[in-house]
Amino acid sequence: MATLGSSLAGTTRAEGGGPPLSAVLALAAGQAFLLLFVLLWWERTDIAAPAWQLGLYLATLVAAFGLSRLAGWIAEHPAGPVVRFLPAAFTMILTLLAAEALLRAYQVPAGLIPTPTEVLTVLWQARDVLLQDTFQTFVMEAVIGFLIGVGVALPVSLLIARSGFLQRGMMPYAAAFSSIPIPALAPVFVHMFGLDWQSKAAVVAVTVFFPVVVNVVRGLLEIDPRLLDLMRSYAASDRQIFAKARVPNALPFFFNALKLGTTLAMIGAIVGEFFGATGKGLGFRIQIEAGRFGFDIVWAAIIVASTLGIAWFGLVAWLERRFTAWHVSLRE
Amino acid sequence: MRARAGNLGPMAVVAAAAVLLYLPLVVIANYPLAQRALERGAVMDCEGPLACAFSLRNPVIPAPGQLFTGIYNLLLPLDSPSAIPINAFWTGAETLVGLALAALVGFLFAVGLVLSRAFELSVLPWIVASQTVPIIALAPMLVVLLGQYGVQGWLPKAIIAAYIAFFPVTIGLAKGLRSPDSLTLDLMKTYRATTFQTFLKVRLPASLPYLFTAFRISTAAALIGAIIAEMSTISFYGLGKMLSENARASDVVGTWVLMIASAALGILLVACVGWVERLVTPWRR
Repeated sequence: MATLGSSLAGTTRAEGGGPPLSAVLALAAGQAFLLLFVLLWWERTDIAAPAWQLGLYLATLVAAFGLSRLAGWIAEHPAGPVVRFLPAAFTMILTLLAAEALLRAYQVPAGLIPTPTEVLTVLWQARDVLLQDTFQTFVMEAVIGFLIGVGVALPVSLLIARSGFLQRGMMPYAAAFSSIPIPALAPVFVHMFGLDWQSKAAVVAVTVFFPVVVNVVRGLLEIDPRLLDLMRSYAASDRQIFAKARVPNALPFFFNALKLGTTLAMIGAIVGEFFGATGKGLGFRIQIEAGRFGFDIVWAAIIVASTLGIAWFGLVAWLERRFTAWHVSLRE
Repeated sequence: MRARAGNLGPMAVVAAAAVLLYLPLVVIANYPLAQRALERGAVMDCEGPLACAFSLRNPVIPAPGQLFTGIYNLLLPLDSPSAIPINAFWTGAETLVGLALAALVGFLFAVGLVLSRAFELSVLPWIVASQTVPIIALAPMLVVLLGQYGVQGWLPKAIIAAYIAFFPVTIGLAKGLRSPDSLTLDLMKTYRATTFQTFLKVRLPASLPYLFTAFRISTAAALIGAIIAEMSTISFYGLGKMLSENARASDVVGTWVLMIASAALGILLVACVGWVERLVTPWRR
């Protein structure tokens, strides 16, 4: 009876058109308190009284409680993608607000943990430097290296897929090579290709190369034998089988490798710069500034790198949906 | 495609081809350097740029002989603090402790994700997004920060390895805890099993294969984390320390040997994870 009652109550509220009022109020009140404190302490440099600190923790808890109730309500009701993203968005906002307020309340020095607003300020102030770093790391190193790696990997995997001998002789090595940690690869390449972007692009190309080869070869070979039989019963030529059955079969594998590759490329470029750079690049900036406690710049550089990483991944995921919309995993 | 007996022949042929291609590569890369050194009148106990390409002190690509000497020099004695074995041991240990830590925390998060839709809606998008982010960039800062709070020695390195392995492990575990089909869950219901019993006897064992798949993916990443963490502070041991020392001293042969050693460590760690997997999930295979 109790479940029936609550589910009935849920429906009536849903028909009323709104989430539980108490949850929304708790979330709003908690966040408002945090915001109020941040504004009050904007210029102050003294440590807040214990009562304030307790208030901040309470406000965070109240807001988190309201958020969880709200998220629970959204989870149980049909909602569009925007509404479904609301809990995640509020989680981020609440985390940032609580961090800002607590860091200000305890007056944690910016050299240790900068507050979110300090990071954003630095992100804006240092935009010229960061833009230059981003161009070096993202365009010159990550993207160029990625394109080279994928460009070389595709013909190589076609070659391997055509030859049983190469499959048996090379694929075990490919698996072994892909377990070389990037930081061990970087010094070798930095010495071989110099301090500028070429060495990092080479690191990126090598790290992207192996997952693409492994995945594309698997995609070309791991094909439903019934599909091949069907193609043969159509009297399809080898070329037709390749173009109409094997390549489409390999596409989802290929895109998986590409998605993995975007992350690896960003890591490769950034880690590569830890081992020598020409005075610019996000990885270089992170390493230098972390060494002298310039954590606000470090965070700003991480925000830039993360945004680019997510956007790049999103682009590849979009291409995947566009080209493999027929695949099981994407079908509605 | 693992190293099976049937693969050994082709693998040997490919290895031989690689060695044969390596020699001309050494000549092409080092010849100009050797020529310049000879023109400048450097004293080298070799005749002509072709021979000297194999015995440069700072080659672009080290010759096979140099590599073997380098491996020999860095491998022995086994317990020397400046030799690879003891350093690789520490780095490997940090990585494995990090993986265990990631499993622990990832487990709590995964249980939260499976039990609460609200938690899933609020947190999962960020966990997924974090997979596409170069979180390794946080490592240099985290080490310095942890050091400020008195966390030193091997622990911060393990924490960073855990931090990097955490996200794939969480997602893998959450997937695994959800993987039992409704038939099995219904069966448990007919047994009048409690939620906890179902969790312990069905969901947990079902999640183990997913956990180990996630482990195999994240081992390499955790190793990267441990190495970067070692580089980012004053360390007294570890492959990361050796790497940064070598890179600073630009000892080319040393960096090559360390690359090979790190790759070997990576392969060994993945093998270790596979071994533990067979131990923990004997009903599979």
